[in-house]
Amino acid sequence: MTGLARTATATRMAFRDQRRRPLVIVLLVALPAYVVARSIAQTEPTPRRISVPGGLEATTTMQELHGAVMAGGVIAFVAGLVGVFVMESALAGDRRLVVAGFTPGETIAARLAVVVAAVAVALAASVAATAAYFDPRSWPPLVAGLALTGLIYAAIGALSGALLDRLAATYVILFAALTDVTIVQNPMFGDGTPGSLAVLLPGYGPVRMMVDGGFSGAFGAQGELALGIAWTVALGAAVTACLRRAVRRGG
Amino acid sequence: MRMLNATVPVTGAFVREHLRAPLTLTLLVAVPALFVLIFASVLGEFATALGGTLAERSATSISAGWAAAFLAGTLAFFQVSSSRGADRRLALAGLGPGRVASARIAAAVVLALAVSIVAFATLALRTGIEHPAHAAAAIVAFALIYIGVGAAVGAVVRSPLEGSLIVVLAFSLDVFSGPRMTSNAGLAEWTPTRDAAEVLVAAGGGVGSPQGDWLALAAAVGGSLAVAFGAFLLVARRRG
Repeated sequence: MTGLARTATATRMAFRDQRRRPLVIVLLVALPAYVVARSIAQTEPTPRRISVPGGLEATTTMQELHGAVMAGGVIAFVAGLVGVFVMESALAGDRRLVVAGFTPGETIAARLAVVVAAVAVALAASVAATAAYFDPRSWPPLVAGLALTGLIYAAIGALSGALLDRLAATYVILFAALTDVTIVQNPMFGDGTPGSLAVLLPGYGPVRMMVDGGFSGAFGAQGELALGIAWTVALGAAVTACLRRAVRRGG
Repeated sequence: MRMLNATVPVTGAFVREHLRAPLTLTLLVAVPALFVLIFASVLGEFATALGGTLAERSATSISAGWAAAFLAGTLAFFQVSSSRGADRRLALAGLGPGRVASARIAAAVVLALAVSIVAFATLALRTGIEHPAHAAAAIVAFALIYIGVGAAVGAVVRSPLEGSLIVVLAFSLDVFSGPRMTSNAGLAEWTPTRDAAEVLVAAGGGVGSPQGDWLALAAAVGGSLAVAFGAFLLVARRRG
């Protein structure tokens, strides 16, 4: 069997493993859709002045702001939990696959495919719910910001799942996602601009992209996009290294 | 007395089981404290954005209740979901399903009390509380009610990902429908923590709660612990 065929087999098995739990798919759709739809629909259209990437300012409403950024918080949390438990499954089963002749890279590719697919499902549900209530100035930066949020937090979840037990990892994801994406980066709070230390957190680039897509017609978040990609690549590399070490270690 | 003698050491073992990893203990202390410190400053603004009338001081108080609720709920879920095989073997080995369930629920209550004490202390240090006894009782009630939510989910759902997502969904429904969080009452009449939130909001605002609210809160806590006991019992009895 070639490397590509083994990777395809491992990926198929990893997805089959997930298919045994159809409730996961339902929840990956229902949870983001409910939280996004409910939060936007219930928010009052109170005027709000915010800063937009590119040194601009915009006057909008709290309701529209919820439309632009609420999906980020819920995707971060859902993706983080997916990361925690996919990593747990990988640690439990993939060592045996490596002993059976698969390379660590092949098993890792399969697990990463599952994580990316789960993030894509939550992303699609969030975007659909957002579109029902909010009309952003430009969809691509908003969707890209949401996707980067999902990938970054899935990686943080996977690292937490590798280093901590499941209860501690769940607490870490709850706290990190809510604090970073939902509060620190959220222009609904404070003076409408993230604080000076917000740039140090992984949610900064993606959430600024969401704000850019929501309220700016011209894309001005090139630096934020680069920062979001850098976090995604760095955390992805850390997850890959962590999984590679774990599946090689045996026992 | 015999039941108590058998249950107490097992309860201690179940508590230690969760605190084996030093980081879990650290997080049980740090997360509610940080949750209260960080969320207290924005919950008033959040409630206003949703059209609610939650005053800042009351919003600060309710952050402690939600911190305790979420931590206790996830803890109870993982207690049930990760102990199915062990609990059944313990029951079959002579402890019996009733004692196993009693020890499990006692361990969950001990851990929920620890989380509640941290949340309460943080709240008291950050803002001060005019009705400390009322606020403490309401925060503990939040945690005890979510033991029922988490344990019920754990008894029905085996997968940790599915279960934790359901606990989060229940928590989201609760947060968005909480008293005075929104102008649209929606499910507010049916959420499990409605009475706990009413008492905590009142205590945070310096107002005592009437007897009717306390009776409703006691019923919610009693019902929730009964559900939790049933869930632990079911898991200790059920094969597989």
